[in-house]
Amino acid sequence: MTDRYPAYDVLAKRWTESWNEVTRKVIDRRLAAPREPRFFSASEWRTLGALCDRILPQPKDRPPVPLPAYVDQKITDGRLDGYRYAGIPPQGVAWRRGLAALEAASQEAHGGSFHALSAEQQDGLLHRMQHGDLTGEAWGGMPCNLFFQHRVIPDITHAYYAHPTAWNEIGFGGPASPRGYVRMGLDRRDPWEAAEATSRKEAARARRNDSDVV
Amino acid sequence: MRLEPAAGLGLGAILGLTALALTLRPATRARAASSRLAVRAPTLDPRAAVHAARRMNRAAGVIAASVLADSAIEHYRGSFHNKAMVTPLVTATLSLAASVHGNADKDAAAHRLRDAVYAAAALTGLAGTGFHLFNISQKPGGFSWQNLFYSAPLGAPAALILSGLMGFLAERVRDTVPGQPPTIGGLSAGRVVAAVTSLGLLGTVGEAGLLHFRGAYHDPFMYLPVTIPPLTAASIGHAALGRSHRRRSLTRFWLRFTALLGFAGTGFHIVGVARNMGGWRNWRQNVLNGPPIPAPPSFTGLALAGLAALGLMQDHPDD
Repeated sequence: MTDRYPAYDVLAKRWTESWNEVTRKVIDRRLAAPREPRFFSASEWRTLGALCDRILPQPKDRPPVPLPAYVDQKITDGRLDGYRYAGIPPQGVAWRRGLAALEAASQEAHGGSFHALSAEQQDGLLHRMQHGDLTGEAWGGMPCNLFFQHRVIPDITHAYYAHPTAWNEIGFGGPASPRGYVRMGLDRRDPWEAAEATSRKEAARARRNDSDVV
Repeated sequence: MRLEPAAGLGLGAILGLTALALTLRPATRARAASSRLAVRAPTLDPRAAVHAARRMNRAAGVIAASVLADSAIEHYRGSFHNKAMVTPLVTATLSLAASVHGNADKDAAAHRLRDAVYAAAALTGLAGTGFHLFNISQKPGGFSWQNLFYSAPLGAPAALILSGLMGFLAERVRDTVPGQPPTIGGLSAGRVVAAVTSLGLLGTVGEAGLLHFRGAYHDPFMYLPVTIPPLTAASIGHAALGRSHRRRSLTRFWLRFTALLGFAGTGFHIVGVARNMGGWRNWRQNVLNGPPIPAPPSFTGLALAGLAALGLMQDHPDD
Protein backbone atom coordinates (compact mmCIF):
# COMPACT_ATOMS: atom_id res chain seq x y z
CA MET A 1 0.00 0.00 0.00
CA THR A 2 1.35 3.42 -0.87
CA ASP A 3 2.03 5.59 2.15
CA ARG A 4 -0.45 8.40 1.76
CA TYR A 5 0.36 9.93 5.14
CA PRO A 6 4.11 9.57 5.56
CA ALA A 7 5.45 9.90 9.11
CA TYR A 8 1.90 10.30 10.48
CA ASP A 9 1.33 8.49 13.78
CA VAL A 10 -2.12 8.95 15.29
CA LEU A 11 -0.87 7.71 18.66
CA ALA A 12 1.19 10.90 18.95
CA LYS A 13 -2.16 12.61 19.69
CA ARG A 14 -2.48 10.67 22.91
CA TRP A 15 -1.47 13.44 25.31
CA THR A 16 -2.63 16.37 23.18
CA GLU A 17 -5.97 18.18 23.42
CA SER A 18 -7.26 15.90 20.65
CA TRP A 19 -7.83 13.01 23.03
CA ASN A 20 -9.28 12.94 26.51
CA GLU A 21 -9.23 10.29 29.21
CA VAL A 22 -12.19 8.37 27.76
CA THR A 23 -10.57 8.24 24.32
CA ARG A 24 -7.26 7.08 25.80
CA LYS A 25 -9.05 4.28 27.70
CA VAL A 26 -10.90 3.12 24.59
CA ILE A 27 -7.70 3.03 22.51
CA ASP A 28 -5.75 1.31 25.29
CA ARG A 29 -8.37 -1.39 25.49
CA ARG A 30 -8.22 -1.99 21.75
CA LEU A 31 -4.45 -2.18 21.75
CA ALA A 32 -4.52 -4.57 24.69
CA ALA A 33 -7.07 -7.01 23.15
CA PRO A 34 -5.96 -10.57 24.04
CA ARG A 35 -4.28 -12.30 21.12
CA GLU A 36 -5.64 -15.72 22.16
CA PRO A 37 -9.20 -16.88 21.45
CA ARG A 38 -11.72 -16.67 24.24
CA PHE A 39 -14.79 -17.57 22.23
CA PHE A 40 -13.45 -19.68 19.36
CA SER A 41 -11.93 -23.18 19.60
CA ALA A 42 -8.37 -23.76 18.41
CA SER A 43 -9.46 -25.14 15.05
CA GLU A 44 -12.02 -22.34 14.47
CA TRP A 45 -9.29 -19.86 15.38
CA ARG A 46 -6.95 -21.27 12.71
CA THR A 47 -9.70 -21.09 10.06
CA LEU A 48 -10.62 -17.55 11.13
CA GLY A 49 -6.96 -16.45 10.94
CA ALA A 50 -6.63 -17.80 7.40
CA LEU A 51 -9.96 -16.19 6.43
CA CYS A 52 -8.86 -12.79 7.78
CA ASP A 53 -5.58 -13.06 5.85
CA ARG A 54 -7.54 -13.41 2.59
CA ILE A 55 -10.19 -10.75 3.29
CA LEU A 56 -7.67 -8.15 4.45
CA PRO A 57 -4.10 -9.17 3.55
CA GLN A 58 -1.65 -7.08 5.55
CA PRO A 59 1.90 -5.95 4.76
CA LYS A 60 4.69 -7.95 6.38
CA ASP A 61 6.80 -4.95 7.34
CA ARG A 62 4.64 -3.88 10.30
CA PRO A 63 2.84 -5.63 13.14
CA PRO A 64 -0.54 -6.81 11.78
CA VAL A 65 -3.87 -5.56 13.09
CA PRO A 66 -5.05 -8.55 15.20
CA LEU A 67 -8.20 -9.16 13.17
CA PRO A 68 -9.19 -12.60 14.58
CA ALA A 69 -8.70 -11.24 18.10
CA TYR A 70 -11.08 -8.33 17.38
CA VAL A 71 -13.73 -10.64 15.91
CA ASP A 72 -13.39 -12.84 19.01
CA GLN A 73 -13.56 -9.81 21.30
CA LYS A 74 -16.70 -8.50 19.63
CA ILE A 75 -18.48 -11.80 20.23
CA THR A 76 -17.07 -12.24 23.76
CA ASP A 77 -18.15 -8.73 24.72
CA GLY A 78 -21.58 -9.30 23.17
CA ARG A 79 -21.30 -6.15 21.04
CA LEU A 80 -24.21 -6.55 18.63
CA ASP A 81 -25.03 -4.68 15.43
CA GLY A 82 -28.53 -3.74 16.49
CA TYR A 83 -30.12 -5.70 13.66
CA ARG A 84 -29.82 -9.19 12.20
CA TYR A 85 -30.86 -10.86 8.96
CA ALA A 86 -33.53 -13.42 9.60
CA GLY A 87 -31.58 -16.06 7.71
CA ILE A 88 -28.51 -15.68 9.92
CA PRO A 89 -28.41 -16.85 13.57
CA PRO A 90 -26.92 -14.62 16.34
CA GLN A 91 -23.32 -13.59 15.63
CA GLY A 92 -21.49 -16.18 17.78
CA VAL A 93 -23.57 -19.06 16.45
CA ALA A 94 -23.25 -17.77 12.89
CA TRP A 95 -19.48 -17.47 13.11
CA ARG A 96 -19.03 -20.96 14.61
CA ARG A 97 -21.29 -22.51 12.04
CA GLY A 98 -19.81 -20.55 9.13
CA LEU A 99 -16.20 -21.42 10.03
CA ALA A 100 -17.07 -25.10 10.51
CA ALA A 101 -18.91 -25.14 7.16
CA LEU A 102 -15.96 -23.45 5.43
CA GLU A 103 -13.63 -26.06 6.92
CA ALA A 104 -15.96 -28.84 5.78
CA ALA A 105 -16.10 -27.35 2.27
CA SER A 106 -12.31 -27.23 2.23
CA GLN A 107 -12.03 -30.90 3.24
CA GLU A 108 -14.56 -31.85 0.61
CA ALA A 109 -12.99 -29.85 -2.23
CA HIS A 110 -9.29 -30.19 -1.48
CA GLY A 111 -8.98 -32.90 1.17
CA GLY A 112 -7.26 -30.54 3.61
CA SER A 113 -7.86 -27.86 6.24
CA PHE A 114 -8.76 -24.36 5.01
CA HIS A 115 -5.78 -22.75 6.75
CA ALA A 116 -3.39 -25.14 5.02
CA LEU A 117 -4.65 -24.44 1.49
CA SER A 118 -2.88 -22.20 -0.99
CA ALA A 119 -4.12 -18.62 -1.29
CA GLU A 120 -5.67 -19.43 -4.68
CA GLN A 121 -7.56 -22.41 -3.27
CA GLN A 122 -8.77 -20.31 -0.32
CA ASP A 123 -9.92 -17.53 -2.63
CA GLY A 124 -11.74 -20.07 -4.79
CA LEU A 125 -13.74 -21.30 -1.80
CA LEU A 126 -14.43 -17.74 -0.63
CA HIS A 127 -15.70 -16.78 -4.08
CA ARG A 128 -18.06 -19.71 -3.97
CA MET A 129 -19.20 -18.62 -0.51
CA GLN A 130 -19.74 -15.07 -1.74
CA HIS A 131 -21.87 -16.28 -4.66
CA GLY A 132 -23.95 -18.62 -2.55
CA ASP A 133 -22.47 -21.75 -4.11
CA LEU A 134 -21.40 -23.53 -0.90
CA THR A 135 -24.05 -25.86 0.38
CA GLY A 136 -24.20 -28.72 2.83
CA GLU A 137 -25.58 -29.72 6.18
CA ALA A 138 -22.81 -27.84 8.02
CA TRP A 139 -24.43 -24.53 7.03
CA GLY A 140 -27.59 -25.53 8.93
CA GLY A 141 -29.83 -23.63 6.53
CA MET A 142 -27.78 -20.38 6.78
CA PRO A 143 -27.26 -18.96 3.26
CA CYS A 144 -23.46 -18.82 2.80
CA ASN A 145 -23.61 -15.60 0.76
CA LEU A 146 -25.53 -13.80 3.54
CA PHE A 147 -22.94 -15.03 6.04
CA PHE A 148 -20.18 -13.72 3.77
CA GLN A 149 -21.87 -10.40 3.14
CA HIS A 150 -23.22 -9.61 6.57
CA ARG A 151 -20.80 -11.34 8.98
CA VAL A 152 -17.45 -12.01 7.35
CA ILE A 153 -16.94 -8.70 5.52
CA PRO A 154 -18.32 -6.25 8.09
CA ASP A 155 -16.82 -7.92 11.16
CA ILE A 156 -13.33 -8.17 9.65
CA THR A 157 -13.21 -4.78 7.93
CA HIS A 158 -14.71 -2.98 10.93
CA ALA A 159 -12.08 -4.66 13.10
CA TYR A 160 -9.35 -3.47 10.78
CA TYR A 161 -10.44 0.16 10.73
CA ALA A 162 -10.88 0.21 14.50
CA HIS A 163 -7.10 -0.02 14.90
CA PRO A 164 -4.66 2.94 14.97
CA THR A 165 -2.47 1.22 12.36
CA ALA A 166 -5.33 1.50 9.85
CA TRP A 167 -5.93 5.12 10.91
CA ASN A 168 -2.32 5.95 10.09
CA GLU A 169 -2.88 4.50 6.63
CA ILE A 170 -5.96 6.62 5.93
CA GLY A 171 -4.92 9.74 7.86
CA PHE A 172 -7.74 9.42 10.39
CA GLY A 173 -7.35 11.18 13.74
CA GLY A 174 -9.15 8.64 15.89
CA PRO A 175 -12.24 9.41 17.99
CA ALA A 176 -13.22 13.09 17.72
CA SER A 177 -13.27 13.32 21.47
CA PRO A 178 -12.82 15.99 22.51
CA ARG A 179 -11.30 17.61 19.43
CA GLY A 180 -13.27 17.13 16.24
CA TYR A 181 -13.33 18.94 12.94
CA VAL A 182 -13.98 22.53 11.98
CA ARG A 183 -13.21 22.75 8.27
CA MET A 184 -15.82 20.45 6.75
CA GLY A 185 -15.60 21.43 3.07
CA LEU A 186 -14.15 19.21 0.39
CA ASP A 187 -10.36 19.18 0.35
CA ARG A 188 -10.18 21.42 3.44
CA ARG A 189 -8.04 20.37 6.34
CA ASP A 190 -7.77 21.39 9.98
CA PRO A 191 -4.20 22.03 11.10
CA TRP A 192 -4.38 19.07 13.48
CA GLU A 193 -5.44 16.67 10.71
CA ALA A 194 -2.93 14.47 8.89
CA ALA A 195 -1.65 15.98 5.66
CA GLU A 196 -2.08 13.81 2.59
CA ALA A 197 1.05 13.34 0.52
CA THR A 198 1.08 14.24 -3.13
CA SER A 199 4.07 13.32 -5.25
CA ARG A 200 5.00 16.98 -5.51
CA LYS A 201 4.74 17.97 -1.91
CA GLU A 202 5.55 14.62 -0.34
CA ALA A 203 8.65 15.66 1.54
CA ALA A 204 7.13 18.81 3.00
CA ARG A 205 3.99 16.97 4.04
CA ALA A 206 6.03 14.25 5.71
CA ARG A 207 7.87 16.83 7.75
CA ARG A 208 4.62 18.48 8.74
CA ASN A 209 3.08 15.19 9.88
CA ASP A 210 6.14 14.55 11.97
CA SER A 211 6.04 17.82 13.86
CA ASP A 212 2.69 19.62 13.77
CA VAL A 213 -0.11 17.10 13.50
CA VAL A 214 -0.76 16.20 17.07
CA MET B 1 -29.63 34.49 -7.76
CA ARG B 2 -26.88 35.90 -9.96
CA LEU B 3 -24.92 39.02 -9.24
CA GLU B 4 -23.90 40.81 -12.37
CA PRO B 5 -20.40 42.29 -12.10
CA ALA B 6 -21.53 45.30 -14.13
CA ALA B 7 -24.34 45.99 -11.67
CA GLY B 8 -21.82 45.77 -8.82
CA LEU B 9 -19.51 48.22 -10.54
CA GLY B 10 -22.39 50.57 -11.26
CA LEU B 11 -23.52 50.47 -7.66
CA GLY B 12 -19.95 51.09 -6.50
CA ALA B 13 -19.64 54.06 -8.85
CA ILE B 14 -22.88 55.61 -7.65
CA LEU B 15 -21.85 55.18 -4.03
CA GLY B 16 -18.40 56.58 -4.74
CA LEU B 17 -19.84 59.68 -6.40
CA THR B 18 -22.32 60.17 -3.56
CA ALA B 19 -19.50 59.91 -1.03
CA LEU B 20 -17.41 62.37 -3.04
CA ALA B 21 -20.30 64.81 -3.22
CA LEU B 22 -20.73 64.57 0.55
CA THR B 23 -17.08 65.33 1.22
CA LEU B 24 -17.42 68.70 -0.50
CA ARG B 25 -18.09 71.39 2.08
CA PRO B 26 -21.49 72.87 1.39
CA ALA B 27 -19.99 76.25 2.27
CA THR B 28 -21.79 78.49 -0.19
CA ARG B 29 -25.12 76.87 0.32
CA ALA B 30 -24.68 76.92 4.07
CA ARG B 31 -23.65 80.56 4.11
CA ALA B 32 -26.65 81.53 2.07
CA ALA B 33 -28.88 79.81 4.57
CA SER B 34 -26.92 80.89 7.60
CA SER B 35 -28.95 83.99 8.46
CA ARG B 36 -32.12 81.94 8.54
CA LEU B 37 -30.59 79.13 10.59
CA ALA B 38 -28.69 81.39 12.93
CA VAL B 39 -31.92 82.82 14.20
CA ARG B 40 -33.19 79.45 15.34
CA ALA B 41 -30.02 77.65 16.33
CA PRO B 42 -28.70 78.09 19.85
CA THR B 43 -25.10 79.01 20.56
CA LEU B 44 -23.00 76.97 18.15
CA ASP B 45 -19.87 75.76 19.79
CA PRO B 46 -17.47 74.54 17.07
CA ARG B 47 -16.05 72.14 19.61
CA ALA B 48 -19.45 70.46 19.91
CA ALA B 49 -19.26 69.13 16.34
CA VAL B 50 -15.69 67.91 16.86
CA HIS B 51 -16.74 66.28 20.13
CA ALA B 52 -19.61 64.50 18.38
CA ALA B 53 -17.33 63.48 15.52
CA ARG B 54 -14.84 61.97 17.95
CA ARG B 55 -17.62 60.03 19.64
CA MET B 56 -18.55 58.67 16.22
CA ASN B 57 -14.90 57.86 15.52
CA ARG B 58 -14.97 55.77 18.68
CA ALA B 59 -18.17 54.05 17.52
CA ALA B 60 -16.62 53.30 14.13
CA GLY B 61 -13.50 52.03 15.91
CA VAL B 62 -15.40 49.64 18.16
CA ILE B 63 -17.22 48.17 15.15
CA ALA B 64 -13.95 47.98 13.21
CA ALA B 65 -12.24 46.14 16.08
CA SER B 66 -15.14 43.68 16.21
CA VAL B 67 -14.99 43.11 12.45
CA LEU B 68 -11.21 42.82 12.47
CA ALA B 69 -11.13 40.09 15.13
CA ASP B 70 -14.20 38.31 13.76
CA SER B 71 -13.05 38.25 10.13
CA ALA B 72 -9.55 37.23 11.20
CA ILE B 73 -10.93 34.22 13.05
CA GLU B 74 -13.54 33.25 10.49
CA HIS B 75 -11.32 33.73 7.46
CA TYR B 76 -8.54 31.81 9.17
CA ARG B 77 -11.12 29.08 9.61
CA GLY B 78 -11.78 29.35 5.87
CA SER B 79 -8.01 28.91 5.38
CA PHE B 80 -7.95 32.18 3.36
CA HIS B 81 -9.12 29.94 0.56
CA ASN B 82 -9.72 33.01 -1.59
CA LYS B 83 -6.92 35.60 -1.49
CA ALA B 84 -9.54 38.36 -1.23
CA MET B 85 -10.35 37.07 2.26
CA VAL B 86 -7.41 39.12 3.54
CA THR B 87 -9.10 42.37 2.46
CA PRO B 88 -11.39 42.88 5.49
CA LEU B 89 -8.42 42.34 7.80
CA VAL B 90 -6.57 45.14 6.07
CA THR B 91 -9.46 47.58 5.77
CA ALA B 92 -10.80 46.88 9.28
CA THR B 93 -7.30 47.46 10.68
CA LEU B 94 -7.08 50.74 8.77
CA SER B 95 -10.58 51.73 9.90
CA LEU B 96 -9.56 51.01 13.49
CA ALA B 97 -6.38 53.04 13.06
CA ALA B 98 -8.31 55.92 11.47
CA SER B 99 -10.74 55.83 14.39
CA VAL B 100 -7.95 55.96 16.96
CA HIS B 101 -6.42 58.83 15.02
CA GLY B 102 -9.76 60.61 14.73
CA ASN B 103 -10.43 60.19 18.43
CA ALA B 104 -7.14 61.92 19.22
CA ASP B 105 -7.61 64.61 16.56
CA LYS B 106 -9.25 67.85 17.73
CA ASP B 107 -9.13 69.61 14.37
CA ALA B 108 -12.45 70.91 13.11
CA ALA B 109 -11.93 69.63 9.58
CA ALA B 110 -12.26 66.29 7.85
CA HIS B 111 -9.02 64.39 7.35
CA ARG B 112 -8.46 63.23 3.79
CA LEU B 113 -6.71 59.98 4.66
CA ARG B 114 -9.33 59.06 7.28
CA ASP B 115 -12.01 59.81 4.73
CA ALA B 116 -10.34 57.54 2.20
CA VAL B 117 -9.88 54.75 4.77
CA TYR B 118 -13.47 54.90 5.95
CA ALA B 119 -14.77 54.94 2.39
CA ALA B 120 -12.56 51.97 1.53
CA ALA B 121 -13.83 50.10 4.61
CA ALA B 122 -17.46 50.71 3.65
CA LEU B 123 -16.82 49.65 0.06
CA THR B 124 -14.96 46.54 1.25
CA GLY B 125 -17.93 45.69 3.41
CA LEU B 126 -20.22 46.15 0.45
CA ALA B 127 -18.03 44.00 -1.80
CA GLY B 128 -17.78 41.41 0.97
CA THR B 129 -21.55 41.24 1.27
CA GLY B 130 -21.64 40.70 -2.48
CA PHE B 131 -19.02 37.97 -2.24
CA HIS B 132 -20.89 36.23 0.55
CA LEU B 133 -24.17 36.46 -1.37
CA PHE B 134 -22.47 35.02 -4.43
CA ASN B 135 -20.83 32.30 -2.33
CA ILE B 136 -24.20 31.23 -0.90
CA SER B 137 -25.86 31.33 -4.33
CA GLN B 138 -23.19 28.94 -5.65
CA LYS B 139 -23.76 26.34 -2.91
CA PRO B 140 -26.06 23.43 -3.60
CA GLY B 141 -29.46 24.52 -2.38
CA GLY B 142 -28.77 28.23 -2.90
CA PHE B 143 -30.46 30.47 -0.37
CA SER B 144 -31.64 27.67 1.88
CA TRP B 145 -31.67 27.84 5.67
CA GLN B 146 -28.81 25.36 5.72
CA ASN B 147 -26.61 27.67 3.65
CA LEU B 148 -27.69 30.83 5.47
CA PHE B 149 -26.75 29.13 8.74
CA TYR B 150 -23.48 27.52 7.76
CA SER B 151 -22.06 29.38 4.77
CA ALA B 152 -20.37 32.76 4.71
CA PRO B 153 -22.54 35.01 6.91
CA LEU B 154 -24.23 37.95 5.21
CA GLY B 155 -24.28 40.18 8.28
CA ALA B 156 -20.56 40.07 9.01
CA PRO B 157 -19.33 42.15 6.05
CA ALA B 158 -22.30 44.46 6.58
CA ALA B 159 -20.74 45.38 9.94
CA LEU B 160 -17.70 46.65 8.05
CA ILE B 161 -20.03 48.83 5.95
CA LEU B 162 -21.36 50.28 9.21
CA SER B 163 -17.88 50.95 10.58
CA GLY B 164 -16.82 52.71 7.39
CA LEU B 165 -20.11 54.57 7.11
CA MET B 166 -20.05 55.73 10.74
CA GLY B 167 -16.46 56.93 10.31
CA PHE B 168 -17.32 58.65 7.06
CA LEU B 169 -20.26 60.39 8.72
CA ALA B 170 -17.96 61.36 11.61
CA GLU B 171 -15.74 63.17 9.12
CA ARG B 172 -18.79 64.99 7.71
CA VAL B 173 -19.83 66.09 11.20
CA ARG B 174 -16.28 67.25 11.94
CA ASP B 175 -16.28 69.17 8.67
CA THR B 176 -19.05 71.42 9.91
CA VAL B 177 -18.67 75.03 8.84
CA PRO B 178 -18.05 77.16 11.96
CA GLY B 179 -21.25 78.74 13.13
CA GLN B 180 -23.38 76.20 11.27
CA PRO B 181 -25.23 73.19 12.60
CA PRO B 182 -23.69 69.94 11.33
CA THR B 183 -25.51 68.59 8.31
CA ILE B 184 -25.02 65.60 6.08
CA GLY B 185 -26.35 65.94 2.56
CA GLY B 186 -28.46 68.86 3.72
CA LEU B 187 -30.08 66.88 6.52
CA SER B 188 -29.45 67.27 10.23
CA ALA B 189 -26.38 65.16 10.97
CA GLY B 190 -27.84 63.94 14.24
CA ARG B 191 -30.93 62.64 12.45
CA VAL B 192 -28.86 60.94 9.74
CA VAL B 193 -26.61 59.20 12.28
CA ALA B 194 -29.64 58.21 14.36
CA ALA B 195 -31.32 56.72 11.29
CA VAL B 196 -28.17 54.83 10.25
CA THR B 197 -27.82 53.55 13.82
CA SER B 198 -31.40 52.34 13.85
CA LEU B 199 -31.05 50.48 10.53
CA GLY B 200 -27.64 49.12 11.51
CA LEU B 201 -29.04 47.79 14.75
CA LEU B 202 -31.88 46.07 12.92
CA GLY B 203 -29.43 44.43 10.51
CA THR B 204 -27.25 43.26 13.36
CA VAL B 205 -30.32 41.91 15.14
CA GLY B 206 -31.12 39.95 11.98
CA GLU B 207 -27.68 38.36 12.01
CA ALA B 208 -27.79 37.56 15.72
CA GLY B 209 -31.34 36.26 15.35
CA LEU B 210 -30.40 33.94 12.50
CA LEU B 211 -27.39 32.49 14.29
CA HIS B 212 -29.07 32.27 17.69
CA PHE B 213 -31.98 30.49 16.01
CA ARG B 214 -29.39 28.10 14.55
CA GLY B 215 -28.21 27.65 18.14
CA ALA B 216 -31.83 26.84 19.09
CA TYR B 217 -31.77 29.55 21.80
CA HIS B 218 -30.38 26.86 24.06
CA ASP B 219 -29.50 29.50 26.63
CA PRO B 220 -32.22 31.99 27.65
CA PHE B 221 -29.69 34.86 27.45
CA MET B 222 -29.54 34.23 23.69
CA TYR B 223 -32.89 36.05 23.48
CA LEU B 224 -31.35 39.31 24.74
CA PRO B 225 -29.82 40.48 21.42
CA VAL B 226 -33.11 39.86 19.61
CA THR B 227 -35.23 41.68 22.20
CA ILE B 228 -33.27 44.64 23.58
CA PRO B 229 -31.62 46.00 20.39
CA PRO B 230 -34.90 46.01 18.41
CA LEU B 231 -36.39 48.23 21.14
CA THR B 232 -33.29 50.40 20.95
CA ALA B 233 -33.55 50.54 17.15
CA ALA B 234 -37.20 51.58 17.40
CA SER B 235 -36.36 54.17 20.02
CA ILE B 236 -33.45 55.78 18.16
CA GLY B 237 -35.39 55.49 14.90
CA HIS B 238 -38.22 57.41 16.53
CA ALA B 239 -35.72 60.01 17.69
CA ALA B 240 -34.37 60.34 14.13
CA LEU B 241 -37.80 61.29 12.89
CA GLY B 242 -39.18 63.04 15.97
CA ARG B 243 -38.58 66.35 17.73
CA SER B 244 -34.95 67.14 18.32
CA HIS B 245 -34.82 69.16 21.52
CA ARG B 246 -35.94 66.50 23.90
CA ARG B 247 -33.89 64.78 26.55
CA ARG B 248 -34.86 61.26 25.39
CA SER B 249 -33.78 59.58 28.62
CA LEU B 250 -35.45 56.32 27.68
CA THR B 251 -33.66 56.19 24.32
CA ARG B 252 -30.38 56.85 26.12
CA PHE B 253 -31.18 54.07 28.56
CA TRP B 254 -31.79 51.56 25.76
CA LEU B 255 -28.64 52.66 23.94
CA ARG B 256 -26.53 52.26 27.09
CA PHE B 257 -28.13 48.92 27.78
CA THR B 258 -27.34 47.81 24.20
CA ALA B 259 -23.75 49.05 24.55
CA LEU B 260 -23.39 46.98 27.69
CA LEU B 261 -25.07 44.03 26.01
CA GLY B 262 -22.39 44.02 23.30
CA PHE B 263 -19.66 43.49 25.85
CA ALA B 264 -21.78 41.07 27.89
CA GLY B 265 -22.29 39.07 24.66
CA THR B 266 -18.55 38.61 24.37
CA GLY B 267 -18.53 37.33 27.95
CA PHE B 268 -21.36 34.92 27.20
CA HIS B 269 -19.59 33.72 24.08
CA ILE B 270 -16.39 33.10 26.06
CA VAL B 271 -18.45 30.93 28.40
CA GLY B 272 -20.03 29.31 25.33
CA VAL B 273 -16.62 28.29 24.02
CA ALA B 274 -15.80 26.80 27.42
CA ARG B 275 -18.99 24.74 27.25
CA ASN B 276 -17.98 23.06 24.00
CA MET B 277 -16.37 19.63 24.25
CA GLY B 278 -12.80 20.02 25.47
CA GLY B 279 -13.48 23.60 26.61
CA TRP B 280 -10.73 26.19 26.40
CA ARG B 281 -8.07 23.49 26.42
CA ASN B 282 -9.43 22.60 22.96
CA TRP B 283 -9.42 26.27 21.96
CA ARG B 284 -8.00 25.64 18.50
CA GLN B 285 -11.29 23.97 17.57
CA ASN B 286 -13.74 25.65 19.91
CA VAL B 287 -12.84 29.28 19.22
CA LEU B 288 -13.66 28.54 15.58
CA ASN B 289 -16.58 26.21 16.22
CA GLY B 290 -18.16 27.91 19.20
CA PRO B 291 -20.00 31.24 19.38
CA PRO B 292 -17.98 34.09 17.78
CA ILE B 293 -16.34 35.94 20.66
CA PRO B 294 -15.61 39.23 18.84
CA ALA B 295 -19.01 39.58 17.12
CA PRO B 296 -21.28 41.05 19.86
CA PRO B 297 -19.42 44.40 20.38
CA SER B 298 -20.83 45.49 17.01
CA PHE B 299 -23.91 46.28 19.09
CA THR B 300 -21.76 48.38 21.41
CA GLY B 301 -20.33 50.36 18.50
CA LEU B 302 -23.77 51.06 17.09
CA ALA B 303 -25.09 52.07 20.49
CA LEU B 304 -22.19 54.51 20.91
CA ALA B 305 -23.06 55.98 17.51
CA GLY B 306 -26.68 56.32 18.64
CA LEU B 307 -25.61 58.19 21.77
CA ALA B 308 -23.46 60.48 19.63
CA ALA B 309 -26.47 61.08 17.39
CA LEU B 310 -28.63 62.06 20.37
CA GLY B 311 -25.88 64.42 21.50
CA LEU B 312 -25.77 65.99 18.05
CA MET B 313 -29.52 66.45 17.96
CA GLN B 314 -29.56 67.97 21.41
CA ASP B 315 -26.66 70.32 20.63
CA HIS B 316 -28.16 71.37 17.30
CA PRO B 317 -31.94 71.15 17.46
CA ASP B 318 -33.55 71.78 14.11
CA ASP B 319 -37.16 72.23 15.08
